[in-house]
Amino acid sequence: MKGTADDRPSRPAPAQLFSPGADAIYRLVLMTAAACLVALPVLGAGIVRSNYVTGVGVAPSQPVPFSHKHHSGELGIDCRYCHTGVEKTASAGIPPTHTCMTCHSQIWTGSDMLKPVRESYEQDKPLVWRRLNKLPGYVYFNHSVHVTKGVGCSTCHGDVTSMQMTYRANAFEMSFCLDCHRAPEKYLRTPAEVWNMEWAPPSDQATLGPQLVARYHVRGGERLTECGICHR
Amino acid sequence: MSGPPDLEALRGRLEGGDGPRFWRSLDALADSPEFRDYLASEFPAASRLAAAPDRRGFLKLMAASFALGGLTACGDGRDYEVPYVNQPERIVPGTALSYASSAVFDGFGNGILVTTRNGRPVKVEGNPDHPWSRGGTDVIGQASVLGLYDPFRSQAVQHLGRPASWAAFNAAMLPQMAAWRAGRGKGLAVLTGPVTSPTVAAELARLLQAYPEARRYAHSSRDGLLEGARRAYGQPLETLPDFSKARAIVSLDGDFLDLGPGQVGLSRRWSEARRAASAQGRLLPLFSAAPTPGLTSAKADDAVPASAARLDAIAHALLAAAAGGAAPSGDDTVDRWTGRAWAALSQAKGVGVVTAGLAASPDLHALVHRLNGALGNTGATILHHAPVAEAGASSLADLAGAMDRGEVRALIVLGANPVYDAPGALDFAERMERVPLKVHAGLYYDETGAHADWHLPLAHPLESWGDVRSLDGTVGLIQPTVSPLYNGHTVPEILAFLGGTDEGTDALALLKRRWRNEGEDAAAFEARFAGALRAGFFEGSAAPVLSPTLQGAPPSPLRGGVRGGGGSGEIAPVPPAPPPPPAPPHTGEGNDVDVVFRPDGTLYDGTHADLAWLQELPKPLTKVVWENVVAVSPALAAREGIATGDLVRVEAGGRSITGPAWILPGQAADTVTLGLGYGRDVPDHLSRGLGYDAGALRPAATPWHLTGARIVRTGERRSPATTQHLGTLPDDEEGRAILRTQVPGAAPVGDPLGVSAPSFYPPPDARDRWTAAQWGMAIDLDACTGCNACVTACQAENNIPVVGREEVALGRWLGWIRIDRYYEGDADAPATHFQPVPCMHCEAAPCEVGCPVEATLHDSEGLNLQVYNRCVGTRTCQSYCPYKVRRFNYLDYSGGMPPVTQQQRNPEVTVRARGVMEKCTYCIQRIATARIDSAKDAHAPIPDGTVETACQGACPTRAITFGNVADPQSAVSVAKRDPRHYALLGHLNTKPRTTYLAALAPEGRRT
Repeated sequence: MKGTADDRPSRPAPAQLFSPGADAIYRLVLMTAAACLVALPVLGAGIVRSNYVTGVGVAPSQPVPFSHKHHSGELGIDCRYCHTGVEKTASAGIPPTHTCMTCHSQIWTGSDMLKPVRESYEQDKPLVWRRLNKLPGYVYFNHSVHVTKGVGCSTCHGDVTSMQMTYRANAFEMSFCLDCHRAPEKYLRTPAEVWNMEWAPPSDQATLGPQLVARYHVRGGERLTECGICHR
Repeated sequence: MSGPPDLEALRGRLEGGDGPRFWRSLDALADSPEFRDYLASEFPAASRLAAAPDRRGFLKLMAASFALGGLTACGDGRDYEVPYVNQPERIVPGTALSYASSAVFDGFGNGILVTTRNGRPVKVEGNPDHPWSRGGTDVIGQASVLGLYDPFRSQAVQHLGRPASWAAFNAAMLPQMAAWRAGRGKGLAVLTGPVTSPTVAAELARLLQAYPEARRYAHSSRDGLLEGARRAYGQPLETLPDFSKARAIVSLDGDFLDLGPGQVGLSRRWSEARRAASAQGRLLPLFSAAPTPGLTSAKADDAVPASAARLDAIAHALLAAAAGGAAPSGDDTVDRWTGRAWAALSQAKGVGVVTAGLAASPDLHALVHRLNGALGNTGATILHHAPVAEAGASSLADLAGAMDRGEVRALIVLGANPVYDAPGALDFAERMERVPLKVHAGLYYDETGAHADWHLPLAHPLESWGDVRSLDGTVGLIQPTVSPLYNGHTVPEILAFLGGTDEGTDALALLKRRWRNEGEDAAAFEARFAGALRAGFFEGSAAPVLSPTLQGAPPSPLRGGVRGGGGSGEIAPVPPAPPPPPAPPHTGEGNDVDVVFRPDGTLYDGTHADLAWLQELPKPLTKVVWENVVAVSPALAAREGIATGDLVRVEAGGRSITGPAWILPGQAADTVTLGLGYGRDVPDHLSRGLGYDAGALRPAATPWHLTGARIVRTGERRSPATTQHLGTLPDDEEGRAILRTQVPGAAPVGDPLGVSAPSFYPPPDARDRWTAAQWGMAIDLDACTGCNACVTACQAENNIPVVGREEVALGRWLGWIRIDRYYEGDADAPATHFQPVPCMHCEAAPCEVGCPVEATLHDSEGLNLQVYNRCVGTRTCQSYCPYKVRRFNYLDYSGGMPPVTQQQRNPEVTVRARGVMEKCTYCIQRIATARIDSAKDAHAPIPDGTVETACQGACPTRAITFGNVADPQSAVSVAKRDPRHYALLGHLNTKPRTTYLAALAPEGRRT
């Protein structure tokens, strides 16, 4: 059917006002909205889990460019030389300036890099480090019991001996903790291996793991996944 | 209650056996429609939500919270790690470290251990080795850690209300000191509170040496006790009962269980004696007659209300009987009580205790001393020693007189606040204006500070060096647990400066100077001092027991007021006090009521009125918070048409106060009780505008008692906020489900052991069951005195915020342990019971069934967990809990706390946000510490007593036992085998882990 501007008033109303393609934009919008409905949560979850948000793999600038790779990896200083609380208390501890100065009053005494350390010691002003590993306020973690029970440093902190500048190795979401609390036999090490930063599960972990669980009296499974173990 | 009580109807109900056996309030007893409505509404606390704001207001709120919501995401400022430069020895970040110290209560000490974390004191525990307090604490001691961080504390020197400095003060004082030295100190007056500190006493003595004509005054509330002893023995003496040998205790307005300097030590001794007697199958009966109920009369086995005048008559009757006269007789309730008390005392000659309290008149004290002497108790169960507070100071009234005469040219007030708490009749503020130079040193810039020329901030006991003596004379040391937060100094430092010594004014040096004996080797002294510092007290420093002899004759019952002659004793007698002025004449018009004044049940004298924990702590008997009430008896209320919540005016001698009435069961008929500690008027302080100032009516001569007052209704109403109905429990028909009482020797009232009813709950997993510790608690209701120490300790340990008066009125009080107070019997003279109710940790917990997100669930050690990060706030668990122990964060109560107060928080406990349910956790953080220690030690069993909950540790009477119920040898298992053992609402078959031991009761009381 067709008409002109001249005869429109006299003709009956057209039966089909819109062309078949008229709602194309509308359909596109609908589909996009539906797609967004699915994509947004996925995107959101992706952003929340991204290293940008969790800080995994990001080495922030610190007052002193301290290198775990150099001190721990190359010089072989034991973790416990600086993190003295790790076997005894909940917190592993950040070393006081005094600990740095035990060596650096003798070596690299003029280094520019170490100027903030010397100033801290001279002026009795603490060094302020950017925090890497942080748990929510309602989670309570105890270093000493994990270390005593054969959970190695690198299981959570990664191989810090390879980190020139230290970064966060894991996001510490609840599932990260639960993986181990549900199946500790996959992660436990012999006491000698706890401080080994390059530890990988040995080939006989399947038989060694359950033996270690029994030896450490670790009550895995249900007990370790009870809420009150970590939340109070 | 909406109207005055209908006493006849209440009595009829009780006598007809129709009423409940135990009742919480007159409303509950009357079963009024309002009370039924309260119970019927499942969540009284949610009533404000139902009456929501209108649509527009709602949208506004939402918009605001949406806008502000984003702000919370902006980091919390803890993204840095700050290690020490030099790690101090013994301080390990994140672990607790305790220091022995002393808590100061109105000048007297209790031994405490201060727990510090990361260099911050966060919790006060009792010092179990301290010979006086023996591990117990009181509410003031528990709250002192909040006092340290109190943002209302004085933070700077002030001169004429403007900030100044210590240097400016020192400079201003130097010419003054030169003038004093020239004038031998004439015109100089030093006013202190009760001085028990040997170091303060030593510095005062040095000051008086420098200025021999200076005068020393002390503002003490305990003058009446010492004066009573002086009238009986001719010398002022402290009196301590030895309950361990006692077979009967009679309290005439006694207060040994009430909040006061003696509460911690005396409660412990009393409960131990009662326990020992019970183990021998007998009751150590406590008889009490008092004009107004307190904790002592509440715990009495036989309590009667008796007016102050009647107490003297009782004492005379008992004394006459003890002297061989006729046994007391008479017809009314008080006479019959006197007869029963005499029967008990006469059977316990030489092993009885008659005691009177702080508020008793000196004459009554003297009569009690004579009575104890006549009964042979003195020297056996009643022991005397020299006054603990330094003698030789004149009273506040003398100071007022001297100021009137213009003899005081300079007034130094150290740690006292007379402008607020001097009896109103002294007009202290107005008199103080006549003194040219006024210096005030205090923890707070208070009323006296505002009237002074110079105000100096004192250091808090938790941040300073010092010493203090307990009621038994034991010298406790005070050591700092943190560097002074503000620029405060201690009283000895100020005295040393004013004395003009050249030997320095360092607090530690002054302390050591006092304690180093003449000629003592320096090294030997340091070792001795370090030992005392570690213990918290000097071993064997308690005052020696004296054996004074009674002097003169007792005052005649008719005239009264005859004083015993000044005799010679071990201590030089102080000069007799001037005769008290005649009592104000009775007005004769209107109602003629007796007024008694009492320290507040949680604030005491108001020194700590700015501590919100104490303000929100329910008063032991009324359960009122954030204000004081005018307590009237049910009979007086019925006669004058007064209802609870009516604003009433109490008038006497041209002065008056106005406050809300509270009908208090057990109050003497024509006696009105006014509570001290409120009506503060310091701008910008928390305590401002709360309650009324009872001090305005206090007479100078008889500061605890006023006769011939009038009480009138103003016609207005203001209902006090109270928690007395919070968690009203459903009783069963026999009244045995909530409270039980055990008559020694009678059939056990406890639940039979090992009987369990069938249940739909699955049986506990046999594999895991009993392999781990199983935590449980037993609370001995006989030992619980209702003192509230557990409530405050729980608040300190578990980061429980205060919610404010309005929120409490809505039923949103947030404490994890509440103390239910029940009355039994007649409203005029009821028996009173206390029942602490924490979470029951039911083995078959109804709350766990209701939670849609499993935020509350059981662990294998029998703990009913609450997982805050899972909770979505449906409050279903709260409605399913039959014990009503769950508390909901309706608002963000913790967020707005001042940063300095947040320093007190326990880092081991989560700070709860809005919309989250919370409740008692059995101090899971302390269990976790013990569990981890055991795990590191190859899972060695946790020794009994290693885990002590905060409430248990605070309890002065050791009423709470906690431990592993799977271990039959543990203290809690032993307690649970007691024949008095029963479960609260046991018929519901919730199998609670927290259970009770029935209170002991004498024969004859309905059981």
